[in-house]
Amino acid sequence: MKFSVKKLALCAILAALALGLSTLESLFPVSLAVPLPGVKLGLANIVTVFALYVLGPVEALAILVTRCLLGGLFSGTATALVFSLLGGLCAMGVMILLQRSRRLSVYGVSIGGAAAHNAGQILAAVITLGNTMVVGYLPFLLAVALATGSLTGFVVSLLLRATAHLHLNNQSDNR
Amino acid sequence: MRSNSSPAKTRPTPWDALVVAAVVLLGALTALLFYGPKAHADAPLTCVVSVGGQVADAAPLASFSGEHTYSHNGYTLTVFVHDGQVEVLHSDCPGQDCVRSGAISRAGQSLVCLPAQVVIHLEGAVDGPDVIVG
Amino acid sequence: MKRALSLAAALALVLSLTACGAPKKAETSLFAMDTYMTLVAYGDGADEALTESARAINELEQLLSRTREDSDVWRINHGGGKVSSETVQLLARALAFSDETGGAFDITVAPLVDLWAINSDHPHVPSQAEIDALLPLVGSEHVSFGARESAAPGSYDVAYVDEGCAIDLGGIAKGYASDAVKEIFAAHGVKSGTVSLGGNVYVCGMRPDGKPWNVAVQDPQGDGYACILSLSDTFVVTSGGYQRFFTAEDGTVYQHIIDPATGAPARSDLLSVTVICPDGTRADAYSTALYVMGEEAAVGFWRLQQDDPFEAVLITADGRLVCTPGLTDHFTKQEGASYEIQFLSR
Repeated sequence: MKFSVKKLALCAILAALALGLSTLESLFPVSLAVPLPGVKLGLANIVTVFALYVLGPVEALAILVTRCLLGGLFSGTATALVFSLLGGLCAMGVMILLQRSRRLSVYGVSIGGAAAHNAGQILAAVITLGNTMVVGYLPFLLAVALATGSLTGFVVSLLLRATAHLHLNNQSDNR
Repeated sequence: MRSNSSPAKTRPTPWDALVVAAVVLLGALTALLFYGPKAHADAPLTCVVSVGGQVADAAPLASFSGEHTYSHNGYTLTVFVHDGQVEVLHSDCPGQDCVRSGAISRAGQSLVCLPAQVVIHLEGAVDGPDVIVG
Repeated sequence: MKRALSLAAALALVLSLTACGAPKKAETSLFAMDTYMTLVAYGDGADEALTESARAINELEQLLSRTREDSDVWRINHGGGKVSSETVQLLARALAFSDETGGAFDITVAPLVDLWAINSDHPHVPSQAEIDALLPLVGSEHVSFGARESAAPGSYDVAYVDEGCAIDLGGIAKGYASDAVKEIFAAHGVKSGTVSLGGNVYVCGMRPDGKPWNVAVQDPQGDGYACILSLSDTFVVTSGGYQRFFTAEDGTVYQHIIDPATGAPARSDLLSVTVICPDGTRADAYSTALYVMGEEAAVGFWRLQQDDPFEAVLITADGRLVCTPGLTDHFTKQEGASYEIQFLSR
């Protein structure tokens, strides 16, 4: 596995974009509806899904981890890091699995990812708070995930169509 | 693994509905678990009795019914547990504060006998207050 | 792929270093100052904070107890003399509160407490003549203290009371102790916790889940709660006559708080008074004072303190729960408690 210069640059740009998006979404705090520290909409998932499709799972994972670590570094709280990383990794895992099914569209993959993202954050909350009662928030978060997942799917489908001619995933860069 | 060799599906397929259904199902299940009819049935309370700083008894309130006696510092308390309540029935301590405190039945409440250093505390229930003043 | 694995391993290592789990909870309880105390703290310094708090409380008890023969208060009551500067500072605050509350809070009421034997095994009703004989001994003018004038090495503070007089800092010691605990918590970086020193509560920061603490005010007439207050970083102190009382031979029920003006247990039209403010010592003194004052004077006193406001919940004997307006957003009615809720206007 080797990252070409082009791919590396693309990964870096996408990671920066994801970081920007996760900062942007802090302007729309879900915490108003769900009073848990660190729970987020998951807008940055747009980048993850996009990367997953045009670059592949390893690259998407690298972008995700970079985004989470840098985001955690900027916010300076370990809790935020745990939340975003656990949420992100859950989403990643589920999306990699779902994407392998040729029958699902971008929508199905991103909705599944968003749901997994929120489930992962609840898991993080259970771990950091040591209290399983927070699982009671999961239904609300899953409802939110349906909406954000669809939105993410919509945006990514637009992106994929718009960038199809660029051949970002040309064979020479793929494994 | 050529995961990206075939063009990505950018329009919703009927199979996507399966994912949505799975998410809805998961949400409904947890909702039922947490907000279902039984969720707010009396959460089980644990009655913890400590004598002189040591836990002497810790038992679910429901299975702790009847009279229990505790002796410490030369005083003896008779504690009566019935119908989800705990009260100090009798104490030979001078102040009688513990007897006067009446019955407790909610999480977080406690009965304290200072001379005998007996503390009866009800633990459990998630909705109880964090601290009681008075 | 090897590289990916080592990358993952390195990441896991970094994570294990940065990601702290649930805030550590530590808990302790102790019998001190004639009451039962429970302290809960969250965070890395919690254990040390609790150990030090318990030690500080015991030290304060040694200093401020009326019954321990090696205490500062004992020394003051038995001829006076050398006391710690901490005791003198608290004494000064107590006298200031007495002044502020028009004597409703008064540490010199001790001889009358003894006369009624109110905290003993056998309380009794004295004759009016006995009370009248002791009433002149009540008052701040009987207390003297100061730093010793010669600033010699090892200089100390002195305090004494007039012949026959006595002080009891019991009405303020727990509040003072809760202030001390607050400082110890802060020094150890504890940002979340609850401290309950028998009627004196300190809620430190927010709950670990980021919400304010729910403080239940005991219903003086039942076994439940009168209301719930959602609070953070403040002190909550309740005084009331409903817990300690005795029944005289003629059937009259006397509670345990002596009114310094009459020399008899206060016949308050209040069942309990809860004072909320960021100063534990002040909250302790005020809760007693407001209870002794009764509803009308207590509300008047509250209005006079607008430049340094405090919040209060008064539960009246005629079934009303009177709240200061600052509590509006912190107040939750309790089902089962049948008090008519009234909010005071500013």
